[in-house]
Amino acid sequence: MLSRTFSRLTLPGKIVFTAVPLLLILFAALTAAVVVAGPVVLTFLTDNLPLVRFVVATTVVLLMTIPTAFLIIYMEMKVIALMNLRYGPDRVGPFGSLLSVVHGLKVLMKEDFTPTGADPVVFTWAPVVVYVASAMTLLVLPFAPGLFGVDMNIGLLYFFAMGGLGVVGLLMAGWSSFNKYSLLGGLRAAAQIVSYEIPLTLSVVGIILLAGTLSINQITLDQSGSLFDWYVFRQPLAFIIFFIAATAEANRTPFDLTEADSEIVAGFATEYSGMRFGFFFFAEYVNVFIVSGLTVALFFGGWNAPFDWPWPIVAHPDLAGMGIGLLFALAIIPPAGILFLGLPFYLVNSRVKFWQALVIGFVLFNLVAVAAIVGLAFVSFDWVVGLLWFLTKTYAFVFTFVWMRGTLPRVRVDQLMGFAWKWLLPASLLNLFVTALAILVVDGMR
Amino acid sequence: MTTIRVPSSDDPRVMLEEDIGVFEPIPPYPPRTEREAEFYTLGDGEMFVNMGPQHPSTHGVLRVVLKLEGERVVDLDPVLGYLHRGVEKLCENADYHHTIAYTDPLEYVSSLFNEWAPVMAFEKLMDVEVPRRAEYIRVLSGELNRVASHALFMGWMALDLGGLTPILWSFIERDDIVEMLAALTGQRMLFNYFRIGGVNGDLNHEFMSRLGDWMSKATEQIEANQTLLNQNEIFVRRMRGLGTLDRETAFRMCMTGPNIRASGVPLDMRRAHPYSIYPELDFDIPTRQEGDCLARYLVRLDEIKQSLRIIDQCLERMPDGPIIAKLPRLMRPRPGRAYAAVEGPRGQYATYAISDGTDQPFRMRIHDPSFVHLQAVGLLTPGNLIADTMAIMASLDPIMGGVDK
Amino acid sequence: MSFVPGLGLVRGMALTLRRFFEPKVTNLYPEIPARVPPKFRGRLQLLYDEYGTLKCETCFQCAQACPVECIDMGGVDTKGRFAIHWGPPETYGERREESALRRAGRTVPDPVYEHFHGIDLRAVDDILHEVDHDPKEMLRILAAIQAEYGYVPVAALKRVSQSTGAWYAMLYGTATYYDHLAVGAPRSTEGDADAAYLGALDGSLSGRSASTDSQAAGT
Repeated sequence: MLSRTFSRLTLPGKIVFTAVPLLLILFAALTAAVVVAGPVVLTFLTDNLPLVRFVVATTVVLLMTIPTAFLIIYMEMKVIALMNLRYGPDRVGPFGSLLSVVHGLKVLMKEDFTPTGADPVVFTWAPVVVYVASAMTLLVLPFAPGLFGVDMNIGLLYFFAMGGLGVVGLLMAGWSSFNKYSLLGGLRAAAQIVSYEIPLTLSVVGIILLAGTLSINQITLDQSGSLFDWYVFRQPLAFIIFFIAATAEANRTPFDLTEADSEIVAGFATEYSGMRFGFFFFAEYVNVFIVSGLTVALFFGGWNAPFDWPWPIVAHPDLAGMGIGLLFALAIIPPAGILFLGLPFYLVNSRVKFWQALVIGFVLFNLVAVAAIVGLAFVSFDWVVGLLWFLTKTYAFVFTFVWMRGTLPRVRVDQLMGFAWKWLLPASLLNLFVTALAILVVDGMR
Repeated sequence: MTTIRVPSSDDPRVMLEEDIGVFEPIPPYPPRTEREAEFYTLGDGEMFVNMGPQHPSTHGVLRVVLKLEGERVVDLDPVLGYLHRGVEKLCENADYHHTIAYTDPLEYVSSLFNEWAPVMAFEKLMDVEVPRRAEYIRVLSGELNRVASHALFMGWMALDLGGLTPILWSFIERDDIVEMLAALTGQRMLFNYFRIGGVNGDLNHEFMSRLGDWMSKATEQIEANQTLLNQNEIFVRRMRGLGTLDRETAFRMCMTGPNIRASGVPLDMRRAHPYSIYPELDFDIPTRQEGDCLARYLVRLDEIKQSLRIIDQCLERMPDGPIIAKLPRLMRPRPGRAYAAVEGPRGQYATYAISDGTDQPFRMRIHDPSFVHLQAVGLLTPGNLIADTMAIMASLDPIMGGVDK
Repeated sequence: MSFVPGLGLVRGMALTLRRFFEPKVTNLYPEIPARVPPKFRGRLQLLYDEYGTLKCETCFQCAQACPVECIDMGGVDTKGRFAIHWGPPETYGERREESALRRAGRTVPDPVYEHFHGIDLRAVDDILHEVDHDPKEMLRILAAIQAEYGYVPVAALKRVSQSTGAWYAMLYGTATYYDHLAVGAPRSTEGDADAAYLGALDGSLSGRSASTDSQAAGT
């Protein structure tokens, strides 16, 4: 009887029919596991807090890449459109802001195609390597005081190493696609990124000399104080070199030779479709974020505010002190707030129905609540302020990258290499030499 | 080298796979000429890349087989004919009026010139005197179309070099002009406007008001658009000295239009073989001496300015009168032959028509500048990089509709 | 190009940033429809006079003169007796030949019937006469043809199209849609469709051409 009933169910019905008991069993098993093994696990975790921190940080970083990529993709579409005198996305969501999410869903639903003749294993793993390499770089970025994945003492080195790992993925993609455009794109990526790693790294050595550490967090801390403590004022040449090399490192226009669409179709991503292409796409935009974030952390003071607040508001509301009253407040404030904000609409305008007034009240209350919580966080935790400054500066740089993409044509491959080896490398060496000399002289005078 | 398994039969129901051996898509046939045999033999460290007919930047459906050594192009073999429609043969089966509709979509970016050449040839064949107002309207609309075409060229050029924005800005220019011509002719792209002995309709209010709006802002808008490219170091460094075509070679390759003027030859059909009312108008023929891609680009920019001058003069001197000569509905010219050439935005666009006394042309031959200019790609590209192939092709500005006819 | 390196790039960036804030030029199409110029020739349209009658006299001059032969028309002649139709769009090739011949002043053979000598069309004419050449009675006509011949011959379809003014394409679609109508060749009597398919499959597997085999199996 059961099998007959099951066979007559619709597809959603079948899914629910199977999923609900399974979930119940899973829940029961989990509860049992927690009851039985809970204390043991808890003591293990409290003994190994760095491990917990690492797991949480990696998870958060991996989860963070998705909204970041969506936001930057939307920014790219909208900003370039506005510069082209178009409107850009304006249909899905407010001002078209959900279009990148829709793109993500579309990419998920597309056929995941492997071309004949491709090496399936390498072809499948290449996007994963690229994505993981770029996501893992986020671990060492200091977002705010105390808000970073790991404070490595070799943070910068780790950063550049991970940047170099991405090339392996691009090469894998280019080689395994069984397509000459992909191969050319992969080789271009390898040549370009390997060449630009050198001025990129050398330009930062000046800062390392000044700060005396490789930890990005420490470098950021070093720049705290006034606006003129930022390294961009002490190392302007290094900043220019770093910015140019970082543009090449992130494969952005005018150095986007690896995916030059007018020359080699889409470079290493030519044969990719579906979510594998989506990984490349995400990785590219996460790279943009990372490069901008690193520029900010190294040269623009990271999460340091450029000026002190003229009216420092610092409050430490003692929420825990309210005790059981907090629970009551949490239960009462939302319905009361909704009614309070919604009722005027119902009372003033007779055409508004009661449920409509409730919806309006709900929306308004949400806005007010979010504003209140953000404001509370802003005055009570200084990491919120730091995060705000960091994100503001980073997205200013993301905007610059997008702006450059909207303006500049692409350089040729020999010009690209010539620029790296003939101009950037000597300039960064000069910068390093002058910095070292200055330190020597200053130290000698002391 | 990989072995490929493909479906073996033409029958879609049968999905048997069979080994076809080593996968080498080019060439599918034994070489037909010595040149082909030489080209399709790979040297040490060389490889073929099949660029097109579906490629983002081959301007339509041009297929170019590139022989590469790393990034450097050793040799190349353009393959034409993906857009062949047999227009010349179709024209032989259509009467003289219908011919205009057939030649219209040849060079779809500058359709009016495709109509102008056959119409002029037929007028010669039939000894028709075109009213002066009709000639002025032809020159006016033709120069507008030239500006539209050159504006689009700037955009494509930048797009092939990786710039995203100029193409959309130049489409704004083009759209202004195209809307204006739509008000005049009734269509945005394939105008079908010129008639034997005149034009299809007189200037109307909407056209004139749109033209006035556009003329008041055209110069500064085009200037503004140019600053994005003209002063851009990346653009200029990529274009300067690339694909240099000297004077003699340009002559030998039968180049016409802006491409030969960029090599220092002031050859312009409007002055060399004056037609219509061009002898009465005052305009210069811009030339450049360098003959490289940058010169070809800059010559076109200068031509836009000259076209704007011509449009101004046309508006100033526009006479009154009929817009089309009185002609019989069914035209049977005397047996004979006629040749007419006009200066299109890409060069000399010419038609050679033979009449045998019936109401259809006995033979009609179309000379298209894009086809001639495309020959130069094989001469200019080898030795450059892949990216330069695009730049050179874009600077020669071929339209595949005209190449394949 | 200026003497300061990078100045051109900066100028370009400044220009794009200025355009970033300028008003946009896109037409928001579905909300604001595009303005069609008064001379726009995009659509063929029949005109009515002030009394509400069709101005078209069905002289076919437009269809003959159309250079790309995209005009396809049918109607009733001026005296209201016969439904007439200028060839269906499926016969582009034939019509092109036809119009070329007609313009050259030669006699025009009627290629529509050349391939279909097999059937006697008088029965079709009778059926059509019964329903007064009314295209609205199409299913009845087709059913009657099916009853008469045992299948619906292509020649009969063409005849019906020519006589009633219905489009051949619509007619063909209707006839092939219904199960009780068999268009083309008569349906084979035995249930050997599978056998024919398998035979064709065998044939193509063994390397022979599939089409000849399926023809052989079908007849």
